[in-house]
Amino acid sequence: MWDWEVKTKQPWFRFGIRELFHYKDLILRFSKRDLLASYQQTLIGPLWVIVQPLLTTLTYVLIFSRVARISTDNVPPLLFYLPGVILWNYFSECLNGTMGTFQYNTHIFSKVFFPRLTVPVSQVLTSSFRMMIQLLVFVAIYGIYMLNYDLGVNRAVVLLPVSLLLCAGFAFGAGLIISIATAKYRDLDTVLQFVLRLFMFAAPVVYPSTIIPEEWKWLFWLNPLTPAIETIRYAFFGSPAFSLLPLLVSVFSVGILLVIGLVIFKRNEVRVMDTI
Amino acid sequence: MSDILIQAENISKRYRLGVLNANTLKEDLSLWWQRKRKKQAMVNVAGDSYFWALKDINFEIRRGDVVGLIGKNGAGKSTLLKIISRIVLPTTGVVRGRGRIASLLEVGTGFHPELTGRENIFLNGNILGMKKKEIESRFDEIVDFSGIEAFLDTPVKRYSSGMYVRLAFSIAIHLEPDILVLDEVLSVGDFDFQQKCLAKIDEISKKQGQTILFVSHSMQSVKSLCDTVLYLEKGRLVAHGDASSVVSKYLLRENAYVSIQKFLDKSNAPGNGTIRIHEVEIRANDQPVTGVIDTQTDISVRFSFWNLSKGHSLLSVNIIVINFLGEGIFSATSEEVGFKDGLIHGICRIPKHFLADGSYVINLVFFQDKQHILFEFNQSLSFEVKSSAKPLNTGRWQAPVRPKLPFTFTQTT
Repeated sequence: MWDWEVKTKQPWFRFGIRELFHYKDLILRFSKRDLLASYQQTLIGPLWVIVQPLLTTLTYVLIFSRVARISTDNVPPLLFYLPGVILWNYFSECLNGTMGTFQYNTHIFSKVFFPRLTVPVSQVLTSSFRMMIQLLVFVAIYGIYMLNYDLGVNRAVVLLPVSLLLCAGFAFGAGLIISIATAKYRDLDTVLQFVLRLFMFAAPVVYPSTIIPEEWKWLFWLNPLTPAIETIRYAFFGSPAFSLLPLLVSVFSVGILLVIGLVIFKRNEVRVMDTI
Repeated sequence: MSDILIQAENISKRYRLGVLNANTLKEDLSLWWQRKRKKQAMVNVAGDSYFWALKDINFEIRRGDVVGLIGKNGAGKSTLLKIISRIVLPTTGVVRGRGRIASLLEVGTGFHPELTGRENIFLNGNILGMKKKEIESRFDEIVDFSGIEAFLDTPVKRYSSGMYVRLAFSIAIHLEPDILVLDEVLSVGDFDFQQKCLAKIDEISKKQGQTILFVSHSMQSVKSLCDTVLYLEKGRLVAHGDASSVVSKYLLRENAYVSIQKFLDKSNAPGNGTIRIHEVEIRANDQPVTGVIDTQTDISVRFSFWNLSKGHSLLSVNIIVINFLGEGIFSATSEEVGFKDGLIHGICRIPKHFLADGSYVINLVFFQDKQHILFEFNQSLSFEVKSSAKPLNTGRWQAPVRPKLPFTFTQTT
């Protein structure tokens, strides 16, 4: 009978997906704006998308492979680190973008209504675009290495989208919860940036999963980023650490995290406006 | 399909006064620790004092109505609009509605300064819930109405504030939402554009049956445009009904326009040991003021006071005219006169065609020997001036005064 209602509390399980779909043009426009804006007044502009992960990878090759002599499962170090770096970047960009939803949009949120989810969704979209380009670069480099090394892609490559969705979903779900928390506690942001740095070492970004001691493996594989990264390594290098079960467990746990994140976000998206 | 578009039931909004919650986790934790240690909740930074921005508001808005929202600053108008627009949640009550709502609570929210006018039309349209195709189909209309065509490809950070308003308003008004909510956005534009917007509001409500809820401080536009008016005072809805009766109630209750003040009892009249006010009155063409004063009439300020200064000094009276934004328009001081004690009457005449359209307040100041203030009678009178004639060629009267001054011309060739 009524189209909409404003009550003292927002309902638990209404995610407004249809409403979000109505605003798809806005999501695309936000993404486009962010992409264009981030390369204005820069020296090499959009090239950063490619240069940044390559520089990071070269640094890792130098530090973790050459100096610290950490194993790379007999894969050329450059090739070994690159997918991990790309997926980690993707995860942390999505997380940072989602986390800042209220922090960076207080003014506009206090003056005009539109589904707040458009902001984090567009952030994830922007990060996805960058990640895709980086993956293409990886594939190109992989092709070059194929000339000299005995490399071959196996059929696990069809699981690649699952890996990517795990990274994005994990970041998005956690980011939604954190965005609400940081809207109230601003100093949480500083703490989280520090935690995020450490968290990188909890995922197999700069080392292979095979070096983890047996008794800690269960915990290590509970991190959704572990199966996400190892799946790619398995598909392209045949890395021995891959197995299907942790991947399925992660799909399940990320699914739950997403639902929890959405519930918390939707329940509080308007309420937090009183505190920020 | 019912005719009621918005139904507000028992709406209240409470804000906490003083220090709003601790903003860092550390502060909250230390608060929690203090409370725990002392075992009572007597540690309250906020002093647990609350402020009701709105209290028990009930109303309904019918389809196609133009509804005015009036009240002094801080009466809760913006809070109410924010609740209806789903920007903040009410503390109690529920608002139900039908159809799409678009609100313009501030001019140019969501404009990106680096983007051009053209890009911002799309960005802003999207934010207000329009799809790309809808914006494209109305693009020319929007540009045409805003009159910023020449600056379409200039970043909006180079726009003047007037251009900002024009563009923002044009976008909102061409959205064709079922309900258009406007906070005091119109007051920013120039006179010309304001008239154009008011005409447009009238048009879309009458022709397209759109419902409009808007805040205004101009009783003139409220009276001429609105079907019904909501009047808020300190968070409460004190009147809701047809425009002219609510506006009169507002003017009466808020003392919006005081055209006469009379004090018969000398001992209780405003003043002090040297001056007591007896009467102040504003007159138009020497007749009592009954409403808005036309710019083509002579205005006179009459005042009478008891002089109690024992005739020791030279007195002068200063009249200051202030507009509703609190800006002084002009100040006029009388000659110095040595009065004997007793009741003294004075008149100051403001010629016609002097003040521009607007609302004004008069302050009276009494001086001794041109330097020592004996008494200030602030906000003694107030009035509104409005032109009945169409503006001349330039079409705008942005200056506070527009006196008829003598011009002389010579031609040499």
